[in-house]
Amino acid sequence: MNGNTVLDIQGLSGGYSLNRPVLHDISFQVKPGEMVGLIGLNGAGKSTTMKHILGLMNPQKGEIRVQGKKREEDSETYHSSLAFVPESPLLYEEMTVREHLEFTARAYNVARGDYEERADRLARIFRMQDKMDSLSTHLSKGMRQKVMIMCAFVARPSLYIIDEPFLGLDPLGIRSLLDFMVELKEGGSSILLSSHILSTIENYCDRFIVLHQGNVIAQGSLQSIAAQAGTTGAGLEDMFYTLVQGRD
Amino acid sequence: MDLTKLRLERRGRFWGKEVMPYLGYVIQSGVAVLLLFLLIAFSAWYTSLVQHIPEGLPIRWIMLILFVPLTVNSSFRTYLQPADTVFLLPQESKMSQYFNASWISGVIYKLLGIALVFLISWPLYVRSDTHPKAFWFFLIVLVALKLLASYGCWKELRMVSRRTSMAYRLLRYVILALSIAAWLWQPAGRSMIFILLLAVTYFVALRIPAKHLVAWERLIAQEKTHSGRVLMMLGWFVNVPGRQQRIYSRKWLSWAGNRIPWKPEAAYRYLLMKSFVRSDIFGIVLRAGILGALLVWWTRSGMLGSGIYLFFVFLAGVQLSSLLRYHSESFWLHVYPIPPGSRRTNAIGLAFQIQLLLAVLIWLPLLGTGAGRLGTAFMTLAAGVILCLLFRFFAGRKKTADDDDDE
Repeated sequence: MNGNTVLDIQGLSGGYSLNRPVLHDISFQVKPGEMVGLIGLNGAGKSTTMKHILGLMNPQKGEIRVQGKKREEDSETYHSSLAFVPESPLLYEEMTVREHLEFTARAYNVARGDYEERADRLARIFRMQDKMDSLSTHLSKGMRQKVMIMCAFVARPSLYIIDEPFLGLDPLGIRSLLDFMVELKEGGSSILLSSHILSTIENYCDRFIVLHQGNVIAQGSLQSIAAQAGTTGAGLEDMFYTLVQGRD
Repeated sequence: MDLTKLRLERRGRFWGKEVMPYLGYVIQSGVAVLLLFLLIAFSAWYTSLVQHIPEGLPIRWIMLILFVPLTVNSSFRTYLQPADTVFLLPQESKMSQYFNASWISGVIYKLLGIALVFLISWPLYVRSDTHPKAFWFFLIVLVALKLLASYGCWKELRMVSRRTSMAYRLLRYVILALSIAAWLWQPAGRSMIFILLLAVTYFVALRIPAKHLVAWERLIAQEKTHSGRVLMMLGWFVNVPGRQQRIYSRKWLSWAGNRIPWKPEAAYRYLLMKSFVRSDIFGIVLRAGILGALLVWWTRSGMLGSGIYLFFVFLAGVQLSSLLRYHSESFWLHVYPIPPGSRRTNAIGLAFQIQLLLAVLIWLPLLGTGAGRLGTAFMTLAAGVILCLLFRFFAGRKKTADDDDDE
């Protein structure tokens, strides 16, 4: 394993059933300050890969290291090093927006002063100042998604796992999120991002991993993907289409 | 689509598949045996009370306190689901077929409950009241008032404005309380005229506010609350996964939990405290505490006061044991770096502290007995504290499903 790697996945096979693995021997890395796009069709294995990284599923083969540590070795350090934004917001109905942020900050051992400063800033960036004391049940879907994003960002771990973050966000919310991700990346944080909106992420991600039917069929920078797809001067959407076409 | 059949199927699924599998555990649990024991103890106490009724027993007030909540409180199980706003919406005009059974079952079971309480309280009433009403006449009045309250509640559920609905709820409480009070304190003929006039006015008033044909969102939210309560009651005896409860915003309690130490080991306690103060359990424990304190004050001069005190400390313990099962399936507790084992420790600690606080508060009325019975009062407090410690001890020993994830 490379010592300068935040996320290191080697030979990962896994899924819900031993007989029918969803992921087949996948390997990739995410380095500090890198934003990596995980792209694939529905059912390609993106969410399953993320669940394995989060420790919600156990690998059948291979290993996953975050900041050099496997989950079995030190679960607390492993989980402290990553934050997750799910595709669908998962909030506690009995807590307000502010309380969600506070609970996250407490769990990640963020200093109170840092939490207050970050919470105020995030509320401003995502235009949630007047909703901070609302219960999550009283929020719209887009606002609930913003809370998920704010919770991840208040924790400030070294790795962010972000699954389809743009769903339900308004255009200003998408722009705020992208700007904030760039800021985090420049600050040295790493992001593994899954999205179907390829035209948006192609300008933001440093590298891409193309998953298809549980296999990594291409990975690298935009130029490298273009070379692997045999397309030049095309956008990520066209490269992706070329790569997956005819593979079913 | 046969809407009557659909409701019947849903009812069968809820009681047959979600509740029935747990009934065996309820019967096996020690709590059920203890409740049975308490029932026997109550029967013995009540028989003795009926045989030796104290002079000047405020029986009319007792009947009022007993029957106002029983007649006013109305609820309907609709078994509606969130997806119904899409799939049943086209059937909206025919939904009365679906709701008829809800209305009937919502009224019949409660009428049976009222009749049972009335039968039990009758010997006390008829022996204590100087001018008791006739048995059947009294029962018919209670049934009629219950039907009126249920009708009013059903109309409230359909009202477009939430504020109007709340106002009409208050009106229902006032009308029912006035009617029962008139029936208890006034001669039968005069009170009947009063009740009839009130009922007609209320009936006409219910026609005024604008109403939905089917108040989908409110009915779905109500159904969630009712099913959550049934599962919560099961939760007193056995671990029931995936149950949802109604959430109350209770802004006046938003400070609760803010002083919990700022460290990962106590993060779960923060979540639990916030969940507790906005849950049904909090309301139940609060009401039980107030009722317990009042009863303890009323019976403070005898051993009965100590018995009632211990019963309410026990009741609080049973209710608070639900805290141990909170968030057992929470996604974030698997993802966040919460130290292993801290969930269980925090839950047991918090339940113990709340029960202990309640044990002290309910005990305070016993101090009103004066210096002569202070010894008994402090012995009772010691017994209450031991009961709290026993709850803590057994909670610590009990193995639940979430331990596997936690440790």
